[in-house]
Amino acid sequence: MRWSKARALVLGLPWLLTFALFWLYPIVYSLIIGFTDKQLLSPERHWVGLDNYRSLLSDPAFIASLKNTFIFVVGTIPFTTVIALALALLVNREFRGRGVFRSGYFLPSITSMVVIALIFTNLYQRGGYIAYLASLAGLSVPEHGFLYSDSTALYSIMAMDVWMAVGYYMLIFLAGLKSIPGELYESAAVSGAGRIRQFFSITLPLLRPVGLFIVVINSIKSFQVFVEIFVMTKGKFDTSTMVYFIYETGLTTKFQFGYASAAAYILFVIIAVFAAAQFWLFRRKQVVW
Amino acid sequence: MRAVRTTLRYAVLLAVLVIMVFPLLWMFRVSLLETGASISLFDVSNLDFTLQNYLDLFESDRMARFLFNSAFVGVAVTLGNILFCFMVAYTIARYRYIVNKMLFVTVILILMIPAHIIIIPLYVLMVRWGLYDTYWALILPWLVNPIGIFLVKQYIESIPPSMEEAARIDGAGEMAILFRVVMPLCRPALAVLAIQVFFTNWNSFLFPFILTQREGIRTIPVALALYQGHQAIDWQHLMAGSGIAVVPVLVLFVIMQRQIVAGITAGGIKQ
Repeated sequence: MRWSKARALVLGLPWLLTFALFWLYPIVYSLIIGFTDKQLLSPERHWVGLDNYRSLLSDPAFIASLKNTFIFVVGTIPFTTVIALALALLVNREFRGRGVFRSGYFLPSITSMVVIALIFTNLYQRGGYIAYLASLAGLSVPEHGFLYSDSTALYSIMAMDVWMAVGYYMLIFLAGLKSIPGELYESAAVSGAGRIRQFFSITLPLLRPVGLFIVVINSIKSFQVFVEIFVMTKGKFDTSTMVYFIYETGLTTKFQFGYASAAAYILFVIIAVFAAAQFWLFRRKQVVW
Repeated sequence: MRAVRTTLRYAVLLAVLVIMVFPLLWMFRVSLLETGASISLFDVSNLDFTLQNYLDLFESDRMARFLFNSAFVGVAVTLGNILFCFMVAYTIARYRYIVNKMLFVTVILILMIPAHIIIIPLYVLMVRWGLYDTYWALILPWLVNPIGIFLVKQYIESIPPSMEEAARIDGAGEMAILFRVVMPLCRPALAVLAIQVFFTNWNSFLFPFILTQREGIRTIPVALALYQGHQAIDWQHLMAGSGIAVVPVLVLFVIMQRQIVAGITAGGIKQ
């Protein structure tokens, strides 16, 4: 019995080590240095209490990144979710070539974000394809392209993100649709409910848990948007986000580890509160049968 | 009426398909254009293409190096996950000690923690441990992951323990049971795990970027992202490099589509 207990522990060792060394230790470590003025170049570090947090809240660069991150999250998730659901409904029923369409829609999701961001940098540039289509549609294009203007850069990146993510969430919605028993629709049809009525009284309520899952994981991901910002604008043109701010203050020029760690913890709390609020909102309106 | 509906349906489906695949086609198109050719718009009548950009990339051995780095790190991390996620999942699924329960709690905990929180400390610690700018920094932290453990644990729990009991009665050792009886049974789940880990790793940018500095150790996404900064953008070569990064993913996608979809519907990919 003893031996067996030891074996149970040995088998768990890879995770135990990874957890301790690469998650727990860093998480605690950065919480602590968040209360210090630790930088790369100064060997000493001093306890500064809440100073980092205080200065962050009056740092215009941080406030801007906070604002942009919220615009990003609030501005992409509704579109991503609704379009993903629409696509899922579109390819849910059996028809010829369904697999091709599903795979095609999903393709952007398995492509590297760096590659996608590079392609769209090309498409968005002055004289690029999207600029060309926009001018055909009578829209005004910023002089140097969509990524070189304060008023369009962030929204252009957001549009790309929606485009990239919809296929992925479509697949999750499809799994949700598959789990709805067909008899429900049959009995609804028998009692005279039309397609639209069925959608609102059966499909939508039963998709609520999947919808919650999608919104929560998508917001956790979106709050951490970084790669596309780094590749496409380097945070210029009012596109800096919180993780970009953390990277910029913590790992470039001054390497302000303490300051950046404090910013990371603020983002952490925001994400936690946001996720909890979403759970609460969705739970409350749970359908009772 | 029905025919109209079907036509309309396919029109919508096709329009969306064009929007979804056009950027990737555009990437390949640009990568096949001659240097100096106009790349701003898609000229359907221009069917000229050249493989020169790809040849250029492989001529300087940097691209081969980046490919090797991505493949080496990707394979190492994937193999690590297959072995370690399986071991950890097995102990959580089959043993009922307090240690195992606590182990599972930590898995769930890390599953929910956003990774941005470790960007700064992981950098500092890797520098301190002397692992910064080495392959270890790209491999060690990712050898086992909570989603993988969770996925395999669910699968093991669906396997009746009678097989293991039978093997035990036959006098098989515990290690033999683990690797010769249970592991082969888990092959479907491990395939899902493997493809998911490999894709995530192959496409990963943030951590390989912050934990390395030398050009010789860059993975493809890092190399591509940093290539842009050097000179005026050379789109032909940049898109050829992107194409090289995408092709392995496309090939694997075609071969293992079922596993990929299964992995996604079983739980989100943690970036």
